[in-house]
Amino acid sequence: MVSLGMQSQRPTFQIQLLGDHAIVYKINTGQLKDIDPNLLAFTQFVTNEKINGIKDIILAYDTLTLVYDILHFDSNPFLFAHTILEAFNNASKNNIVSIERRSMIEIPVCYDESLGIDLENAVKALNCSIDELIQQHSEKIYTVYCLGFLPGFAYMGEVPHAIQLPRHPSPRSKVLAGSVGIAGKQTGIYPMNSPGGWQIIGRTPIKIFDPTSTSLTLFKAGDQVRFKPIDLKLFHTLNTHEDVH
Amino acid sequence: MKMSIKIIKKGLSDRIIDAGRYGFQHLGIQPSGPMDFLSAQLANTILDNDLNHPVFELHFPAAVFEFDEAMYICICGANFVPVINEKSVALNTPIHVYPKDQLSFLQPIEGRSCYLAFKGKLDESKKWLNSFSSFQTTLNKGDHFVIHKAPEIVLSINPFKQNTIQQVQKNLFNEHEIRFIPGPAWNDLDHASIQALMHKSFTIDAKSNRMGFLFNGPAIHLAAPKDYLSSAVTMGTIQLLPNGQIIVLMADHQTIGGYANLGQIILVDLPRLAQLNNQCPFKLSITNVQTAHQLYRSIQSWFMH
Repeated sequence: MVSLGMQSQRPTFQIQLLGDHAIVYKINTGQLKDIDPNLLAFTQFVTNEKINGIKDIILAYDTLTLVYDILHFDSNPFLFAHTILEAFNNASKNNIVSIERRSMIEIPVCYDESLGIDLENAVKALNCSIDELIQQHSEKIYTVYCLGFLPGFAYMGEVPHAIQLPRHPSPRSKVLAGSVGIAGKQTGIYPMNSPGGWQIIGRTPIKIFDPTSTSLTLFKAGDQVRFKPIDLKLFHTLNTHEDVH
Repeated sequence: MKMSIKIIKKGLSDRIIDAGRYGFQHLGIQPSGPMDFLSAQLANTILDNDLNHPVFELHFPAAVFEFDEAMYICICGANFVPVINEKSVALNTPIHVYPKDQLSFLQPIEGRSCYLAFKGKLDESKKWLNSFSSFQTTLNKGDHFVIHKAPEIVLSINPFKQNTIQQVQKNLFNEHEIRFIPGPAWNDLDHASIQALMHKSFTIDAKSNRMGFLFNGPAIHLAAPKDYLSSAVTMGTIQLLPNGQIIVLMADHQTIGGYANLGQIILVDLPRLAQLNNQCPFKLSITNVQTAHQLYRSIQSWFMH
């Protein structure tokens, strides 16, 4: 394992190998309250560089993973991992790393019991009222730590301690697209109908994943998200899901 | 000129794939490439196609195909006893089919993923995000694939292709350990588990599929319970489930994983793992990235004229 200091006062990146076709940069921040801005800047840098032979650039929590094509790289993967990091360090020293503003995305959510199918049991388990749960869930600004599980599924955190709910012991066979769930410290939205074990507390009328759109997904890692409570009537007005009429 | 391949009968889980859809894993969109890239590449090599030309990946019981025009096809990988109009046909060779010919598969003899390549260009309408790999859909009865006919040529097996076929067959079906590079959680295992992973035999569980292969074998444990932050995973990532079972992520893997990451099966051994039948015991062994890269380069050289 190799560590490189970015700049003296900055956090360091550790370089690890994920087998024979991916390298992982892990940032040492200690506590993880948000995605580290240096990691976000590094991700943007690698994405903008469009390095030949890099097939995927995946940011998640405290790591950036680059999936590479073996045939494109002659050298030891540690060497080219260092080369990329050095290029970033030089660019940031010379202030030529462009940092995009992080998106703040507002998601309308209807917390009606007909859509938030676990709401009733959840408030019993949490010993609070539905209004309290809605308030706690919607007043916080969440960070998208990564996308995974399904296309466009964003793992967001952290959920306030008072409304953290465990996953269902066995997953439901079908959770509807747009359903908003809680699992432990994380909250997320099902981008399509799928099996799922999260506790469903509401539903958004908007599309999270659209295979025909150019952006494909509503979220990307590093985005900030806020949920805005809406009533059932507005949900139906805004609804984009096929199963609701 | 257009021709088509039609699905007459649905199989258990068949699909069209190419080398996979890369560049979208950060959005949670998995590559969905082949389980066995060697057989897919071999089938294309035999037909003088690009290595990453789309092919059908079949699992037993496999679909029944009908061809509406004369064309060349090639079948590689698992031996499911292919027959055309009930007459048996060979693997690893160009096959000339005629209009109304039907291709079906009788029984699984060896391997678990079979590849059907065809000569001609698949219609672009089946493409999404630069790839033909099907996205969470399998072949259904009535599906048809429009193919733009390739110029008429006679295909044959030359010494170069003969060598490629032999090398691929040897790599896939000769007994060999499955090699891996230890990952971030390897040192979190207890001593007995490390010994078990290095010396004991495993088999593949019947519940395995394109998302992942579950291993049956000795239970594996961390020295002490530990939580891991989720990070990217790829095909071949060896994860430890909370119940002590190993799962190796395969072609339809999720893009992010939060279980203990014990290591990574090297690319050249993934096709052999992908073709292992459930009852075949196998062992794991440790290797390093330099060896893995050398092996991968030498394998890819089989496909280069």
